[in-house]
Amino acid sequence: MSAVPLLEATGLTRRYAMRRGLFGRPVEVRAVDGVSLALERGRTLGLVGESGCGKSTTGRLVLGLERPDAGGVAFEGRPMPAPGTPAWRALRARMQMVFQDPLGALDRRMTIGAQIAEPLEIHSIGGRPERVAQLLRDVGLRPDQAGRYPHELSGGQRQRAVLARALATEPALLVCDEPISALDVSIQAQVMNLLVELQARLGTAILFVSHDLRAVRQVSHRVAVMYLGRIVEEGEPDAVLHDPAHPYAQALVSAIPHPGRRQRRILLQGDPPNPADRPSGCAFHPRCPVATTLCAREDPVLKPRPGDGRHVACHVAQGEVPARRAA
Amino acid sequence: MSGIALPLRVAGEGRRRRRWPVLVLCAIAWLGLMLGVALLADVIAPYAYTALDLRNRLASPGATVLHPLGTDELGRDVLSRLIFSIRMSLLIAFGATVIGALIGTSLGVLAAHFRGFVEQVVLALVDFSASLPFLILALAVLAFFGNSLTLFVCLLGLHAWERYARIARGLVISAGAQGYAAAVRQLGASPWRVYGRHVLPNIASTLIVSMTLAFPEIILLESGLSFLGLGVQPPETSLGSMVGYGREYLTRAPWILLSPAAVIVLTTFSVSVLGDWLRDRLDPTLT
Amino acid sequence: MLRFLGFRLLRAAVTIVLVVSFAFVVLRLSGDPAQIIMGADAPPEAIAAFRRAWGLEEPLWLQYLRYFGAILSGDLGRSMRDGREAIALVAERIPATLALTIPALLIKLGLGIPAGITAALHRNSLTDRVVMMLAVAGFTVPSFVLGLLLVLVFAVQLGWLPSGGQEGWRHAILPIVTMGIGGAAVLARFTRSAMLEVLGQPYIRTASAKGVPWRAVVWGHALPNAAIPTVTIIGFMVGSLIAGAVVVESVFSWPGVGRLLVVAVANRDLAVVQCILLLVAATMVTANLVVDLLYGALDPRLRQRTA
Repeated sequence: MSAVPLLEATGLTRRYAMRRGLFGRPVEVRAVDGVSLALERGRTLGLVGESGCGKSTTGRLVLGLERPDAGGVAFEGRPMPAPGTPAWRALRARMQMVFQDPLGALDRRMTIGAQIAEPLEIHSIGGRPERVAQLLRDVGLRPDQAGRYPHELSGGQRQRAVLARALATEPALLVCDEPISALDVSIQAQVMNLLVELQARLGTAILFVSHDLRAVRQVSHRVAVMYLGRIVEEGEPDAVLHDPAHPYAQALVSAIPHPGRRQRRILLQGDPPNPADRPSGCAFHPRCPVATTLCAREDPVLKPRPGDGRHVACHVAQGEVPARRAA
Repeated sequence: MSGIALPLRVAGEGRRRRRWPVLVLCAIAWLGLMLGVALLADVIAPYAYTALDLRNRLASPGATVLHPLGTDELGRDVLSRLIFSIRMSLLIAFGATVIGALIGTSLGVLAAHFRGFVEQVVLALVDFSASLPFLILALAVLAFFGNSLTLFVCLLGLHAWERYARIARGLVISAGAQGYAAAVRQLGASPWRVYGRHVLPNIASTLIVSMTLAFPEIILLESGLSFLGLGVQPPETSLGSMVGYGREYLTRAPWILLSPAAVIVLTTFSVSVLGDWLRDRLDPTLT
Repeated sequence: MLRFLGFRLLRAAVTIVLVVSFAFVVLRLSGDPAQIIMGADAPPEAIAAFRRAWGLEEPLWLQYLRYFGAILSGDLGRSMRDGREAIALVAERIPATLALTIPALLIKLGLGIPAGITAALHRNSLTDRVVMMLAVAGFTVPSFVLGLLLVLVFAVQLGWLPSGGQEGWRHAILPIVTMGIGGAAVLARFTRSAMLEVLGQPYIRTASAKGVPWRAVVWGHALPNAAIPTVTIIGFMVGSLIAGAVVVESVFSWPGVGRLLVVAVANRDLAVVQCILLLVAATMVTANLVVDLLYGALDPRLRQRTA
């Protein structure tokens, strides 16, 4: 293993122009606003946040499916080529994606066997029939299911097929975008276990994008919490998810139901703010139970907290101001 | 759009055995007959379509056993001319339908792939097509570029291109935005592979239905132009030109005109019935 | 709304420019008009004089610019046959054509829309089947066949009506009926499918489930929504008022714009053909523009889909 992380993203920013109403001038929306992250080989980074916080866009930027407006992605120390170029296409063999909706991600007119073989054909990797059979076994499907069409499989089996296709080229990086949220709860655990098991066997690095904190805790080596296009807290999953430092992360964690344990839930006021109309200062301050006047004025930066070195972007958690009132 | 394939297969298998509408069966039978006639024209036609029989001019059907459907003003056998006209009209309609589908689909896919400027150009061309009744456009081009069969077929091929372009563009954009096309693209597939192996096979059923709906329109256009004397030129003969030339003998020898007219009506009717039925089956979103 | 209007106007202008360029390119590149008009055996000096008189020996781009400028100033050129203003030639034919196409349009609307709505409201009933059979039949019988059949029956066999020409209102009946029937069939099919699509929507089911009387559901919810796609095809019909009668006018020897076009095309009378092309395109574009604005009024969602 080299000192260079497998994947390093610095200051990723992605803006979209959005028009509101008939007369509205185009408004710039920052879906992702200065996100930096690093991922080592064989490790998993969990990216959590509510819908619309930019975590899926971050996943797409990291894979190079979209170009960032600012910042950059380095894969194995080299910058990401532009989408659609031959270099970019060749790099697809090294990084793959698992989608939220496995039925949508599969071509309904082809057998799953043919679809799992497709990355092998694209990247001219030989030994196909045996390799496809092996991949099917790896993800817990039977080799004779190669002749099935997607609609003949169950949701969990489809996601396994998508996973087999993603793993066909033995990628070094796998971006899983909400891979279990379209599945039944009973199937979710199976797919999660499969991911962990395959990672242990193949040494794949995983960027696990999800809004499901428990799923993230189960698979991740590190966790990053996103709010409105920025990472607000990052650290070890046990630390972040047991003792969150950022008020937003605290609210998220308190929302996990614990059978048998009585715990006060922190109810956030209001809806997630419109990314086109980003609040001044800390973007979370209008909903924050402990916000101070400084929070409305000054944007906190993500930096290690004095005590334990946890990365958090919050004036209160950093101890720079006293909390307005206890949470 | 991504909902097409699955319900299609499931619904298709369940209902197929239960009810084939009689009308659809008749339509298929008629089209089969027409196709057979067109393919075997040389074998089954009793005479050459230019052969004259000056002793039997303007003979009515049944007047002589030699000419079951009668003869025209030059004593040419109406049945033989009809058989060769069917071949000609079907050939033109097939050729033109295929050309239209190819051009339209390609432009639609290009527009969806490149977006931006290319898309605006294609959309402007679509607007242009929509701004002129096709007959007027065809009249201008035909009369000024003279008239050869190839040009005629290509011209008719332009008839419904904008429809395919619009459909293909819409379907490709929705396929590319999310789902299987995006998935295959991020596997590292080239655009050729994405479109050729995945997107086109997936939108093919919709395009085939549109072709079935455009086919009768092209037959009607061909016969209309030939009727005006601006389509198929003598000595070649098509269904429309037979009606056009027969028109002058409307009072004395209506059979010259009635048999090709009946064939036109029955054929377009059959294809329309079949097309409607296919559309209801495969893709109810088309109008 | 202004933005929408501006965008639509721009598109319409682009379309007109495309049509003008198309007319120019097709008509100028297709052959030498001087040869065609004067005949192949005309003396060379006569041809040269003709070319000079019509500006045909100038470079093509200059002809094009001149042509464009002339059109902008309302000059559409003169007929190469008799030297009269093309626009005057065309204009004097317009009333005759409108005398056919406007009544025919009324028949189309009056027959087609009620038939389509009735068929949709009684889906799969006998009425529906009969209407749809008739509609498909009406659509598949080409106008020249229908016209000739009507002539055969009502003029030749029964002798009730004249078979062609333009001497009085009785001469107009057969052509109007011919056009009306075909168009009504198309409109009925279209209206039916638009209605059926709307009737299948959840908001219709909701309205009738919450107890709104069925008549009110149909009039208040179904018809306004079904009108949106139907307006498009009506717009097309209005747009082709001027040129929609080419075939029928030929069948009935009716001296309208369509006849003029066929004759002009056969004679390669450039100015007249160009003039008709432009006129038709301008009507169509205007009709499409009106349709789009109507769309905006009928469907507020579309107003936002500008780009």
